[in-house]
Amino acid sequence: MFATIPSAVILGAEGHRVSVEVHVGDGLPGFHLVGLPDASVREARDRVRAAIMSTGRSFPSGKITVNLAPSQTKKTGSGLDLAIAVGILVADRHVPPDAVRGLGFVGELGLDGSVRGVAGCAPMVGALASVDPVVAVASRREAVVATDRHVRAVATLTELVDTLACEAPWPDHDDPDPPESVDVAPDLREVRGQEVARLALELSAIGGHHLLLVGPPGAGKTMLAERLPGLLPDLEPSAALETSMVHSAAGLALPAVGLVTRPPFRSPHHTASQVAIVGGGSHALRPGEISIATNGVLFLDELPEFPVHVLETLRQPLESGRMSINRAALSTVLPADFLLVAAMNPCPCGGGRGEPSDCTCGHDRVRRYRSRLSGPVLDRFDLRIRVTPPDTDQLMSSCPGESSAEVAPRVAAARAQALERQGVLNGRLAPAHLDSVAPLTESARAAVRHELERGRLSGRGYHRIRRLSRSIADRRGGESVDLCDVDLALQLRSALSPTSTGRAA
Amino acid sequence: MSEPTPDDRRAAAVLASLPAMTSQRLRTLLHRRSPTSALAVLGGREPLDAMSGRLFRRAPELRDRWRQHLRSQGPIAADRCDELGVTILLPGTTGWPPQLVLDPDPPAVLFVQGDPAAIDARRVGVVGTRHPTQRGRQIAARVGHELAEAGVAVVSGLALGIDGAAHRGALASRGAAPVAVIAHGHHRAYPRSHAALFREVAEHGLLLSEWPPGVEPERYRFPRRNRILASLSEIVLVVESRETGGSLITVAAALERGIDVFAVPGPIDRRASNGPNQLIASGAGVMNEPGDLLVALGLDGARSGRRAVDARPRPTGDAARVLDVVGDGGAELAQVAGVLDLDLADAAMAVARLERDGWIVEADGWFERLDEWAGVVH
Repeated sequence: MFATIPSAVILGAEGHRVSVEVHVGDGLPGFHLVGLPDASVREARDRVRAAIMSTGRSFPSGKITVNLAPSQTKKTGSGLDLAIAVGILVADRHVPPDAVRGLGFVGELGLDGSVRGVAGCAPMVGALASVDPVVAVASRREAVVATDRHVRAVATLTELVDTLACEAPWPDHDDPDPPESVDVAPDLREVRGQEVARLALELSAIGGHHLLLVGPPGAGKTMLAERLPGLLPDLEPSAALETSMVHSAAGLALPAVGLVTRPPFRSPHHTASQVAIVGGGSHALRPGEISIATNGVLFLDELPEFPVHVLETLRQPLESGRMSINRAALSTVLPADFLLVAAMNPCPCGGGRGEPSDCTCGHDRVRRYRSRLSGPVLDRFDLRIRVTPPDTDQLMSSCPGESSAEVAPRVAAARAQALERQGVLNGRLAPAHLDSVAPLTESARAAVRHELERGRLSGRGYHRIRRLSRSIADRRGGESVDLCDVDLALQLRSALSPTSTGRAA
Repeated sequence: MSEPTPDDRRAAAVLASLPAMTSQRLRTLLHRRSPTSALAVLGGREPLDAMSGRLFRRAPELRDRWRQHLRSQGPIAADRCDELGVTILLPGTTGWPPQLVLDPDPPAVLFVQGDPAAIDARRVGVVGTRHPTQRGRQIAARVGHELAEAGVAVVSGLALGIDGAAHRGALASRGAAPVAVIAHGHHRAYPRSHAALFREVAEHGLLLSEWPPGVEPERYRFPRRNRILASLSEIVLVVESRETGGSLITVAAALERGIDVFAVPGPIDRRASNGPNQLIASGAGVMNEPGDLLVALGLDGARSGRRAVDARPRPTGDAARVLDVVGDGGAELAQVAGVLDLDLADAAMAVARLERDGWIVEADGWFERLDEWAGVVH
């Protein structure tokens, strides 16, 4: 007998439909799995055999051939287990073929017949648009996010076979408890002093400007960076779906409401491998941290400690908001539209309280330290500010600064204004549109010209200053970009070279 | 001693280029011997005298090492002196700086490039940290310039920071030529970023070293160099230095030789001023302006204090107040705004205007005041 069961595998953050074709016939007893399964899929044979026995049904004694179509692409992951088991049960006449018509299966089997969730359930279910998906109870929340169809959840294979074979009603399971909800986002109110950094965070949120924080240890760089997502508005539905898909593909638990609605915050350590950060590895091409942070914030602490080749790979996603991963046999494009916040010490010694004369490093050491950041990488930061530890008075002061709840509406208003005006955030403005969208007043133009003529501003830096000053003008509700906006933008993009006193690049 | 032959001079260069050679060892080898004869002793062509014998007894491996070096390198060091136009000076002969004659720890041979007459002027050593503040750099440049204008040679080490700034200041004047004492051979410039400055000093002034071309700038050579620097100065001025800075080695060498030490007072909370402030506390002269040095040299200090023409538009309003804040030793934007109770945007505007007009300079988000000597430093 023969059966075809729809299922799916994952590649990057996309699901791909796979038809599991099962043939049970006469011949030497055996269980053959074809259609380019990788090791994780091949192991399904043993799990499926044990799981079917656990239901009390007999395992076919003939020759079983399972084909995974399309058969020229490599299949990976344990999500095909359930479809293979159902296919065998149908082909072995334990389940009538009509019972599985219009259903697709995604799930991993345990030896005792339990059905387990797999990473990437959402995109996989998304690829099964024409059938009702059957998934593990643990995956139900993810599956509902990705499809309009009726999602069925089962806990064990026995339960599933009983339902299908006896036309019993589908079992009713409660969703498992959602993961310990992440604490309430840290609030900006807890930051004392740091006027410049607060302003930079707000502008970064308004315009999607990448932000570099330079300061000695203990200045509060990490504390500041963690508060950036709290200033960003909720994700748009399409962005929320995109982020949820990536999170599912990466095996992260989705929140109780299903979709990821708040911008994610990711802070990979500098020892993370290149693949962990940009994605790839195995045949599933797992999304990296930059994709998991899509539509949110990627925080790289101790930026110069990251390997140079990792930092350089960030250039493409920073430019295009996508990360394409290409391997000999497969390739995929992952979303990677993140806001980059990076922190670094001014020099290897940390620089005392942050005044230049506090530093005990030699000139060469500082230069070596900073030369790990290439010009093109450094150039991606519209905002480069210095952070110094707050002084004692500020630290002990009982009057808090503005809270996130006060800043966030300003950010939302300015973002809405920018999106209405030009369709993209200020940080993504194309140079060609700068003149129409961010016109400079006479005095502002003169100031920028002066900087360019003195060689303190490069061509690329020029565009960045104009984008940033557009955000500054939006923040104060200004129509065109005035001298004060440009002046402030220039101060928020300070130099980072130990020898020159210019702000080239 | 009679005038040495060219062979003697070349032999001295070869001896000084030997590995693990120190001033002390070189003095021992050349004790009552001409360099040519000392070289012959090393080659085994002449018998050892008592002093050289003691040297080899204390460090027996040296003899083979030096012989091997002489065989493999031959007179390369001397040839390179010719190529680079480096003059080899021996003690007691024409051109040997008279200040070194009575020195307790003199060099045994000197290698010089440039104009030997530069050393005949009045001389002030200007030293300091390699990591100065903008203020320190400007003071060094200003001192260098005004000393040179008054006909006083600036003696310094061509290092990064204060040394370089003092030389740049002196070179910007048409006055006295600067003297530089370096710690390595003339074949290279160290630090590399001062290559142009090295060339200029060699061209207009005097570039002097205890070691022949080919000797690399190893760490231990710099403190040793400082004693020659001190010895050649009539006054040593410390502009900025940490409490453990290398400039204090120069100061110690100067005190040992009875040379006056002056220091530039600075803010008590700036590390770069710790050194000078401590020196003043322990009795060093205070330099409030370069004229103080001229007075100490017995020159007419009244002429000094002339400043370069300042064509910058005078700041007014907020900008003037911001300049005051920054002038007190540097500040960052938030401090400026905080002290003056200004909005960040207003402070940024004032700062940007001052920057455009050349009153302050920004590096890594830190602002420092510029005076009219800033142009010389950079």
